[in-house]
Amino acid sequence: MAEEQKAKEHKKRRTATHAAASIGPMVKEAIGGTVRARAEGTHKIAYTFIVCQHDEILRALDVVPVWTENYAGICGAKRDAERFLQRAESLGFSRSLCTYALCGLGFDQWREELGEMPPDAPWGGQARPDFMISSGQILCDPRSKWYQAAQQFMPDVPIYNIDLPYPLYDPKRDHREVWGYYHKYIVEQLRGLVAFIEEQTGKKMDYDRLKELVALSDKTWNLIHETYELRRAVPCPMGTGDAMNTMVPMVFMMATQEAYDFYAGLKKELEEKIANKEGVVKDEKYRLLWGGGLPSWFALTDFNYFNSKGAVFPAETTYRMVQPLYEMDIPETDDPIEHLAWKWLGYWTFWYDKARKRPGSHPDVEWLIDYIENYKIDGVVMHEAFSCRSWHVGLIWQLHQLAKIYRPIPVLVLGEDGKKKEDRRELPSLVLESDIIDITSYSEVDTRNKIDAFIETLEAVEKSKIK
Amino acid sequence: MTEYFAGIDIGSTMTKAVILDDGIIAFVIGPTGPEQRRLANKVMEDVLNQIALPFQSITYIVSTGYGRINVPFADKQVTEITCHAKGIGSLFPEAKTIIDIGGQDSKAISIDANGRPTDFIMNDRCAAGSGRFIEVIADTLGVRLEEVGDISLQSKNPAKISNVCTIWAQQEVAARLAEGVPIADLLAGIHHSLADRISRMVNRLRVEEEVILTGGGGKNKGLVRALSEQLGHEILVPDKPLITGALGAALLGKEIAEKAKKNNVPLETKERLLEEIEIL
Ligand code: SF4
Repeated sequence: MAEEQKAKEHKKRRTATHAAASIGPMVKEAIGGTVRARAEGTHKIAYTFIVCQHDEILRALDVVPVWTENYAGICGAKRDAERFLQRAESLGFSRSLCTYALCGLGFDQWREELGEMPPDAPWGGQARPDFMISSGQILCDPRSKWYQAAQQFMPDVPIYNIDLPYPLYDPKRDHREVWGYYHKYIVEQLRGLVAFIEEQTGKKMDYDRLKELVALSDKTWNLIHETYELRRAVPCPMGTGDAMNTMVPMVFMMATQEAYDFYAGLKKELEEKIANKEGVVKDEKYRLLWGGGLPSWFALTDFNYFNSKGAVFPAETTYRMVQPLYEMDIPETDDPIEHLAWKWLGYWTFWYDKARKRPGSHPDVEWLIDYIENYKIDGVVMHEAFSCRSWHVGLIWQLHQLAKIYRPIPVLVLGEDGKKKEDRRELPSLVLESDIIDITSYSEVDTRNKIDAFIETLEAVEKSKIK
Repeated sequence: MTEYFAGIDIGSTMTKAVILDDGIIAFVIGPTGPEQRRLANKVMEDVLNQIALPFQSITYIVSTGYGRINVPFADKQVTEITCHAKGIGSLFPEAKTIIDIGGQDSKAISIDANGRPTDFIMNDRCAAGSGRFIEVIADTLGVRLEEVGDISLQSKNPAKISNVCTIWAQQEVAARLAEGVPIADLLAGIHHSLADRISRMVNRLRVEEEVILTGGGGKNKGLVRALSEQLGHEILVPDKPLITGALGAALLGKEIAEKAKKNNVPLETKERLLEEIEIL
């Protein structure tokens, strides 16, 4: 009861854009839609993961995706994940595993045991799938293990696993030497997926439709890129807090007209804000880069706290899942599956050439440098979410590398002779520590204390900057 | 007329207050209780009583530490990062890296020649990186906290403590004690283990000399030595390592007051009143 009260009392986050504010109802409707589809039995439903380059394939075959990470994130944002996490723990899973997976497993087991949605399931609950599509990629082992574990409670639901590798970065090698092999492999993976879904749905792939959807999402990719680039403006019209909402159409609704329309609307909104010199904060003092890490979904108000100190986030690497297609030199092809595979390779190797040109750099660091330069960044903030290794391993290393190869701020310091001399200083950074949805790992007092200290550090650096 | 400035630092374990004119003229250190607001009053009263100074004569008061918002009479609140940087910067003009090992957390701060922080890192997640770790072990071994450092320095053969969690390390130490491992070796092992964890955190920053250790950890010679070995840097410790945050707070207050005077703007202060606080 007390917990419920607490969840209700938890204030809604203030957004800077109407677009971000409209996301909540959109997600609610999307989740409700999957539950309705289950009840009506009109469409086949698949559990699956975001960023697996298969959105167009699912849509072309009329599969309704249930993005299981999304549902766990919703439980987290509503501060109602704990009961599902505890259930998963009671089934023998460790709390140190990916908490999205734990939340999903706890939920599924409960739903299967009851034969209906768990009581007061956030936004109507997570629909039971007809099949599950897992995926081997990045470091994320939950993506290949989560659904296998879920089969303990749903043994009748088959799994198909796709494998989506990309060439690792080697400063001495041009990745194009090997990406033909990777391409061939990924194409095979995606064709296998098509065959599997055809079998499950009893439908045949309509390749013309697929082509149209691929073209639609290409168009959306470029639009998103152009829209987000508007955030370079000073004052910044939209921060990372909002982007953690506006990513929804990008990662959950690709290959739909709604996604395209959403970004067209957002672009218009940002252009208007820029024309009116309307920023996220009234007096923009500091421009920060969200340099990595999934956010704490239950603590998005921390972004407002940053804002209250005059700090805004014009850019983030998290969920910025697009790069402009017209800047990728991927081979032309008429085959939509082949194009999807090239797009995957183009995205993951996007920063390789640039990194190769800067000794000691790395694509992940090059990405940070690009944003620092182009978005006039004063400091970098990262979030280490303990339960997700995939996106969080290496964040500290990135900061280290950044400090080694990039010392951009000219400052005046006192020399040994007591006279002021010019020096260059690296960007201050802040590493927040908590989790994506496990609220027990979060301390608001400690987090805000760190933010206060970081703002004071930025202030100190600002004072010694040579302007 | 002499002007006085006060800094009050409410840490998780200890509360410290410093009064300053041109230098420190009084300071007190007391344990932080649950009733921080009441305690802030008491510590302030104590430090003023030391030099028989009326509260009204304090020009500016800055509070710091995690309980800084619970000081009703403070004119300004500043985080401990900035205050430590200021305090240490005044004591060690060459300081570049500060390590603060407190009761419940530890942090590292890079500072510039003006005593301003340029980067920092904090561990507030885990007792195993803080003074609490040593406290728990001292308790298990039945050793007084003040003696821990000296005893550990007698060790010729530090024990290897493999558990990183405070609770497990406590059990490990108890088991090793039962096996007959000397207390000095256990304490030396514990210091290495703590120093290892702290140095890993500190190494996220660029560690440059002079390296200064503050907080309760500065009073533990065994820990200072272990940390110096791990980091490969000589570590300097101020005379009174517990009050550097409060000192920095008072110095910042002084700076604010001087700036206001120079710019001919009024200094915004709170009423000098030690409030009666009813907590329960
Ligand atoms: S480990 Fe990370 S990337 Fe993988 S499912 Fe969990 S949150 Fe997502």
